[in-house]
Parts: sequence; structure tokens; C-alpha cells
Amino acid sequence: MDLISQLSKVELFDGLTEDELSQVASICRERVFHPGEVITQQGESGDELFVVTEGLVEVLLGGPQAERKPRAVVNLGQGQIIGEMALVDHGPRSATVRALTDPTLVQAVSIEDFEGLFEDNHHLGFIIMRNMASDLSFKLRHQHLAGR
Amino acid sequence: MAAIYKVSYVIPGEDHPGAIVNTEEKPTVGDQIQLGDRQFVIVELIDLMPARGEFHFLHATLKPVPT
Repeated sequence: MDLISQLSKVELFDGLTEDELSQVASICRERVFHPGEVITQQGESGDELFVVTEGLVEVLLGGPQAERKPRAVVNLGQGQIIGEMALVDHGPRSATVRALTDPTLVQAVSIEDFEGLFEDNHHLGFIIMRNMASDLSFKLRHQHLAGR
Repeated sequence: MAAIYKVSYVIPGEDHPGAIVNTEEKPTVGDQIQLGDRQFVIVELIDLMPARGEFHFLHATLKPVPT
């Protein structure tokens, strides 16, 4: 499957035109990870957002004490986004994300490149930020139900 | 474009964090799901959020498949 077809099946890009999907595809870089490899590290700065295109990753949260073992809070599979909070608040990574499957394929997008696209095309920027809000809402609802 | 189902999976009472995964086939109660190296069965399925376009947002409760 080509990259534009893959991106069209990701909620973050739902509502973009074919031309806009091509613009997003042009700033994507594929990365390959193997089980245990770290994609983002909690507390570190991050300048990329990732889209899982194949495989499964685990999201780990560390406690306030450094010696506390991080706990897995959710696994994310095909079509899910990682590192999106850096695009929203430019803050440090809120969680550590590790690959679980071999291989785990992700598309990496520079936050700077994304923001450049948003400046050039406000429709694209609105759609992606709306979809990101929807994704954060979905993850919050998932966490509420997981904690029942 | 065909429908896409974004599914929130949780496994009550198990040492598993659950998962969020997209699928192109609508899940149903009784389906078996592989998450990593473990197999689960769907015991409950609800709409988590209203559908938008071709995207449907579901929540599934799972239990482990006995080995």
C-alpha cells in the first residue's frame, strides 16, 4: 500500500484532500523499530510526531520517584499517533513509547515541518488540529474505561 | 473509502494495559483479537463516540482466551 493510502486511513488526516495528503506524505520519514527500542523517552524534549503504520507499541509512564518502575498504560497499533502533545504544547515527552513487535513501522513528521504546512494551508491546519483534539478525547475516554 | 473502526480495547482484571488499534473490519462480540502475543475474545462492544465520515469509534471489553 502506498503512503498516501496509508495516511488516508489515519484519523489524524481524515478530511484532507488528496493534494493535502500528498503534502503531508512529502514531510513523512519512515522509521523501523524492533521490540524494546525506544521511540520517545518521557521527560526528554521532542520535535517529532509519529504515526504507527505497522505493529504495536507500548506507552509507559514513570512515577515521580526515579526508582519506580514505569508502568504500561496502553498499547497503540496501526493508525495511532504518538508524540502529538509536542505539537500542542511544545513540552517534554509525557511518556516513554517502546516498540513491541518486529518490525514496528512508524512515519515520523517534524513538528516544524507540520507547523510550516499549517501556516501555508489553514484548512489543513484546522483539520489536523480538530482531528488531534478528537484523538486526545478518544484516548481520555479509553483511559476512563480502562480505570473502571 | 471503506469504513475504518478505531477500537479501544480494555481487559478488566488482567495485567494488560489494553490497546487502541484501527481495523477495517467491524469487530463483533465473540471475535478473537490478538494483542502482541496474547489472544483475547470480545465480550462487550459499544460506540465510544459518534462516527465521523468513514471513521467509527468503538470500545470493546475483552477477556483472555483460555490456553
